[in-house]
Amino acid sequence: MRGPLLFSDIDTPGLASIETYRKGGGYEAASAMVGVKPPGECIDVVKASGLRGRGGAGFPTGLKWGFVPKDSPKPRYLVCNADESEPGTFKDRELMEKNPHLLLEGMILAAWAIQAHVGYIYLRGEFEYIQQILDRAIAEARAAGFLGPAVAGRGFALEIHTHLGAGAYICGEETALLSSLEGYRGQPRLKPPFPAVEGLYACPTVVNNVETLMNVPPILKNGAPWFRQWGTEKSPGTKILSVSGPVRKPGNYEVPMGLPLSTLIEEHCGGLLGGMAIKAVIPGGSSVPLLPASKLSTGLDFESMVAAGTLLGSGGVIVIDDQTCIVDALWNITRFYEHESCGKCTPCREGTYWMSEVFERLERGEGRESDIDLLSDVSDNILGKSFCALGDAAAMPVLGAIQHFRDEFEFHVRERRCLVNRRAPGLTERQAEAVPA
Amino acid sequence: MSADTVAIGSEGPALEWPEARRAELDQALARYPNRRSAVLPVLWIAQREWGWIPPAAMQLVARTVELPEPEVFGIATFYTMFNLRPVGRHHLQVCRTLSCSLMGADRLFRHLERKLGIGHGETTPDGRFTLRRVECLAACGGAPCMQVGFDYHENLDEAKVDALLEKLP
Amino acid sequence: MSGSVRVTINGRTLAVPAGTLVTDAARMAEVHVPIFCSHQKLPPLGACRICVVEIGMPKRDREGKPVLGADGAPEIAWMPKPQTGCTTTVAEGMVVATESPGAVKARKGVMEFLLVNHPLDCPVCDEGGECQLQDLAFAFGADFSRMDEAKRTFVSEDLGPVVKKEANRCIVCMRCVRYCDEIMGDDALTAHQRGVRTEISSFDRRPLDCEQCGNCIEVCPVGALTALPYRFQARPWDLRQHVTICPWCSNGCSVRLGVRGAEILRARGTEYRGVNQEYLCVRGRFGYEFVNREERLSRPLLRAGGAHTPASFDEAVAFAAARLESIAATHGPEAVAFLGGEKLYLEEQYLFQKLARGVIGTNHVDARTRFVSPVPGAALLEATGGGRPALSFSDLERAEEVLVLLEDLQGEAPLAQAALIRGQHQLGVHLTVAHARRVKLARPKFRGEWLGVKPGGELALLHGLTRAALDAGDPPDLPREIAAGLPGLKGALAAWTVERAAEESGVPAEALRAAATRLRAAGRKAVLFGRGVAEHPKAVALLLAIGNLGWVSGALRSDGSRVMYLGPHHNSQGALDMGLVPDRLPGYVPVADPDARRPFEQQWGKSLNRVAGMTAPEILAAAAEGRVRALWIAGDHWLRSAPDRALAERALERAELVIVNDLFLTDTARHAHVVFAAAAFAEKEGTTVNCERRIQRAARALAPRRGARSDAEIFTAVARALGASWSHRGPEDVYREIARLAPGFAGTSWATLLPLGPQWSREAPVGGALAPAEDLRPAAGPADGLWLLSGGTLFLQGSLSHRTELLPRLAKPGRAFLNPGEARRLGVGEGEALELAGPTGALELPASIDDAVPPGSVFVPYAFPGVELNRLGSPAGAGLRVRARKAAEAERVER
Ligand SMILES: Cc1cc2nc3c(=O)[nH]c(=O)nc-3n(C[C@H](O)[C@H](O)[C@H](O)COP(=O)(O)O)c2cc1C
Ligand code: SF4
Ligand code: FES
Repeated sequence: MRGPLLFSDIDTPGLASIETYRKGGGYEAASAMVGVKPPGECIDVVKASGLRGRGGAGFPTGLKWGFVPKDSPKPRYLVCNADESEPGTFKDRELMEKNPHLLLEGMILAAWAIQAHVGYIYLRGEFEYIQQILDRAIAEARAAGFLGPAVAGRGFALEIHTHLGAGAYICGEETALLSSLEGYRGQPRLKPPFPAVEGLYACPTVVNNVETLMNVPPILKNGAPWFRQWGTEKSPGTKILSVSGPVRKPGNYEVPMGLPLSTLIEEHCGGLLGGMAIKAVIPGGSSVPLLPASKLSTGLDFESMVAAGTLLGSGGVIVIDDQTCIVDALWNITRFYEHESCGKCTPCREGTYWMSEVFERLERGEGRESDIDLLSDVSDNILGKSFCALGDAAAMPVLGAIQHFRDEFEFHVRERRCLVNRRAPGLTERQAEAVPA
Repeated sequence: MSADTVAIGSEGPALEWPEARRAELDQALARYPNRRSAVLPVLWIAQREWGWIPPAAMQLVARTVELPEPEVFGIATFYTMFNLRPVGRHHLQVCRTLSCSLMGADRLFRHLERKLGIGHGETTPDGRFTLRRVECLAACGGAPCMQVGFDYHENLDEAKVDALLEKLP
Repeated sequence: MSGSVRVTINGRTLAVPAGTLVTDAARMAEVHVPIFCSHQKLPPLGACRICVVEIGMPKRDREGKPVLGADGAPEIAWMPKPQTGCTTTVAEGMVVATESPGAVKARKGVMEFLLVNHPLDCPVCDEGGECQLQDLAFAFGADFSRMDEAKRTFVSEDLGPVVKKEANRCIVCMRCVRYCDEIMGDDALTAHQRGVRTEISSFDRRPLDCEQCGNCIEVCPVGALTALPYRFQARPWDLRQHVTICPWCSNGCSVRLGVRGAEILRARGTEYRGVNQEYLCVRGRFGYEFVNREERLSRPLLRAGGAHTPASFDEAVAFAAARLESIAATHGPEAVAFLGGEKLYLEEQYLFQKLARGVIGTNHVDARTRFVSPVPGAALLEATGGGRPALSFSDLERAEEVLVLLEDLQGEAPLAQAALIRGQHQLGVHLTVAHARRVKLARPKFRGEWLGVKPGGELALLHGLTRAALDAGDPPDLPREIAAGLPGLKGALAAWTVERAAEESGVPAEALRAAATRLRAAGRKAVLFGRGVAEHPKAVALLLAIGNLGWVSGALRSDGSRVMYLGPHHNSQGALDMGLVPDRLPGYVPVADPDARRPFEQQWGKSLNRVAGMTAPEILAAAAEGRVRALWIAGDHWLRSAPDRALAERALERAELVIVNDLFLTDTARHAHVVFAAAAFAEKEGTTVNCERRIQRAARALAPRRGARSDAEIFTAVARALGASWSHRGPEDVYREIARLAPGFAGTSWATLLPLGPQWSREAPVGGALAPAEDLRPAAGPADGLWLLSGGTLFLQGSLSHRTELLPRLAKPGRAFLNPGEARRLGVGEGEALELAGPTGALELPASIDDAVPPGSVFVPYAFPGVELNRLGSPAGAGLRVRARKAAEAERVER
């Protein structure tokens, strides 16, 4: 058993097929709820469970569902965010690849709760093979009567469609996702109005992450108290953490919220590869500030991470060893945001470019004393000024790195080289190719 | 041409959908309440059909989903996975983002550059390989990784890549 | 949104309308908040972030009462992040800070970001001097940007003949793309790629497939998009700027002319003034060029026998006066006729007819030289409600239902089209377009209905609409005098079942019923028509029918008119208002009404001819037969505008005296005995009346071409030479006289006429009583021929368009547009020569395939240089049919 909840049976052979899934009790929650329990009740249970979004923002899921206007004459939509593009994160991929029906059941329950008759699964373009797995699962579920005109034989109609993106990190941001799904360039939209009120096709829409939705069936099946046996008061349940970097056993781990970061790395992942020590850990995907080795005892839950000056984010744990140069690492990350900025707003579009230029200067060994403050000031000018949170995501890590590892930046300026250099992360050239003239 | 606008020099013959694609197209269009929403699926179909998306294909897509041609051009170029130039039979997409680079993506990519004699975005003269650096593929646990077409290959090193390229037709 | 809310901006509290955006509220408080991406005609975007401000709301306790601080002032809960003012609407009690440390740092930060990739090429940038980015950077002090690394670069490109793109300067505000889409309805621009590589361009970098209006250039806050025709011509600071009224159509846009020396170098919109604000169409923006033309007439010409010889102004005046006097003396004043004048200013139009009536004594006065049938002078006014308060462009944008009758607004009224497209896009206007061709506004993308009326079925269409509206029950609250005609109308329409109308108009009965129902049901509605009706051989009947539809559908109401007439020229409405018609004095005073006439007789010191004169088409015939011996044609290329060129040529050859005022030596002027070199619109001050019946004053932007005189001076000099005691000193005096005499103009004053002057209307509307309108005369020409469709197009309008370099280049050489099927039938392909033969002549033109043209017809825009459409013969009855065949087999016809 790799984990207490979502991972309890994840490696069961053939789990992706509906038979195997149902042997393990699959679709029981759906049959028990849809058309039986009033939607409001489902929402209340999820509220009581304290489930928080696993996509990054950690917004309480039941609360979000509750925002959907009950009286609106417009159709409602459910959208599953399967864009999984946050660097360091690869949990949704394994979950969907191995247990697609759990996602479908979660969506069926969520759709019932908000009374949506159409659901879309927005997959990042690279997940084409997962689209095939899901399409197969959808066909099975339809054949078995869990999707279609009468879900579980009751008078509730639901269709679920997969939608393949085409290479854009920003399409993970919920409003950009909706623009993309509607056939526009994948750029974020003004909030308010929030999707729950005016989302897809200007209709009430709930956008939830894959892992979030997969938590719904067990919660509705076993109840809120059962779910709360794991995790903390403010972050109940488990979290799947994707661990990458030079650890012995990288991969996805489902652990109770609140587990100390060090336990995850040392015990679950078997520590670092030979002869290396931890310099820093990015706990929640590349968008969050890193934690220096000194703070590894921090608990893996939303509130403890905030207290430690970072975020749990998407649970992408990137381990940085003592022989990696922080400046290199941050340059690599900054290039990512420069490449993924949608270009809509000025601070992110221009700021990410400028920051990578400054990093490049530091790497060329032409850094100046002023560059370190320049980097933090540029980040600060993006932070909270950009249109969407991608700008913040580009700024926060840089601010964090300078706060904790200023000495490495200063060394770059002074000595015109890295403080340590086993292996420069590299591959930092720009990738943009011009549109053919 | 109409009496009141300046006609654009439409280059190359207009493309049509091969009959074999009809079913796919109808399926894609049937999934959404309006045609616009089908623009990504339909662009994907075009790329499957022609390997890349020439302007004539964008015009065809525009007609199919009833959008202005310039807008389709803007959409197709916003996303990175639509090929605006022809690509080789095998599209090698090496992840460059942090987790992979920590695990040696740099070495891997340089190796491929040397081995194939091409750089980022280039195609081997025999049209067999196109090489690209791409951003995080959500396979960080199997770093360094690359996608060949849509197939994932993880925990790579020089030897594994060489073996892989041998196997590819 | 109603009511107002109180906001405090930088300590100053003011009340603003609820729903106001913070950026606009700031402008009201005279606090400058910079903007780039936001634009008054586009919905908020919030992308550029330059308008960041700090915003707070008063803290409230449980009961919702404001929490007071120690100092007794309400405590403010400030939002954690700065907010974009262009996307935030004000709320009661809101506090806004634009100069707080937080706001300033945020704004400075954004500004610095905007310069990260912006080149420092201001010295060679056409925007230099009026660049909003430059101004702002300057405000922060030069070299404040800390970015000194390599900038991302793009190659510059020409997007067609008008737009030059310098992508490196672009700040991705998306104004151009959104304007092109939401206001022009062209979607020609798009953003390529993303992030810092975002580049505005066209489909595949090809020339823009659009109206070439250049509004993308106008709204670009930097120098990323500039005008190729204006490239490197001048720097803004050495241009004198004058706001005048565009001469190219009846919409009356305000144009900011940039003048250096005796040359106009560019035309721009006015940003916040006029009916158009920033908007201009391609003609308004690039059509000024004719004023600069070398071949302008620079002195009067006299023709003794054969050739013209230059003469001084005084000689020309003396000659003209002497000849007029003797002809009037020997053959009576009725032997003299006055034609044209739609392009003149109001004051000049007034003087033109005052000269005819008050000095010579003839009522043969008509500006409507294009008209085919004798239309009463007040018919157009009656069809639009007889002078009841008129429709405005902003009403148009806010209408629920708009019916466009038989007009292609793209060519005839570009601003009206833009207003409707924006209205459709942003405010949900529903469009119904009745036109033989599927014109732009009838395209599916605008989600309206297209009533594809078949040529000749126009009147049937109106009968059908009116009948369908009547079938829904008697219209409520008709004014008594109107209601009087209801039985008569019902009687006349008894035979016109909607089915019969459908049959004869080619528009399905359901479509007619639906359109009539929409129009009747709509609260805010409008009906638009123009030359397609006025210059139709059935104009008289059509105008009555439009009046009927207006009343029956509720578009006309006793308290106002929602029916708009779009004339061919910028002052066509003025010409009607000023009595350039044979039966009405200025203000539509009937010449036959002794009491109404009296004030004019007193003012002019002459008893006036009480018999209505001849209309333009009648004058044409009379002159050709020698019954009219002297013609004065003012600012009108009669040989082009007259419905029958052969007849007009005969008339000019036969006349004993032809006087022509013009800018150029046109073919018409070549026939003249006296040619007066006239000043162009920009060279004189005066007033115009646009299609909203809005009276607008145009400023004089530059001195007249040497040797040219304003038409007012010409008329005045001749009148004085004929012994008239005209005492006015300039247009202002003349306008005062107009305001005194012309009902509807009373109370208006010269001082208040600057752009966006008042819309005139009158207490006592002209006309009344619904009137039956039956007219079923057959068309002229062979019954089996193709219908000849004509009309203005965007690039070609009137005879001046080919006096510019750009417009004909955009329009390309004259062509005849055919439906693909028709072309196949005739065996002509794109570009192949087609021969068109009418009753009086033939033409040869390259064919062009256009599926917007209906089968059984051929569309030839008028005003193609060298294409003399009126050679084919005059339309009559239902219209004109012509024989068409592939020219290869036809023996060549010489033009
Ligand atoms: C730049 C950016 C990228 C994001 N990428 C993802 C993503 O790949 N997957 C995801 O589930 N949420 C992503 N999010 C979060 C979504 O905007 C949204 O909060 C989430 O899908 C809500 O689902 P949840 O409440 O179940 O977490 C992203 C947010 C931002 C600002
Ligand atoms: S922060 Fe601005 S540029 Fe960046 S992704 Fe969001 S909207 Fe686009
Ligand atoms: S003007 Fe407000 S964000 Fe651009």
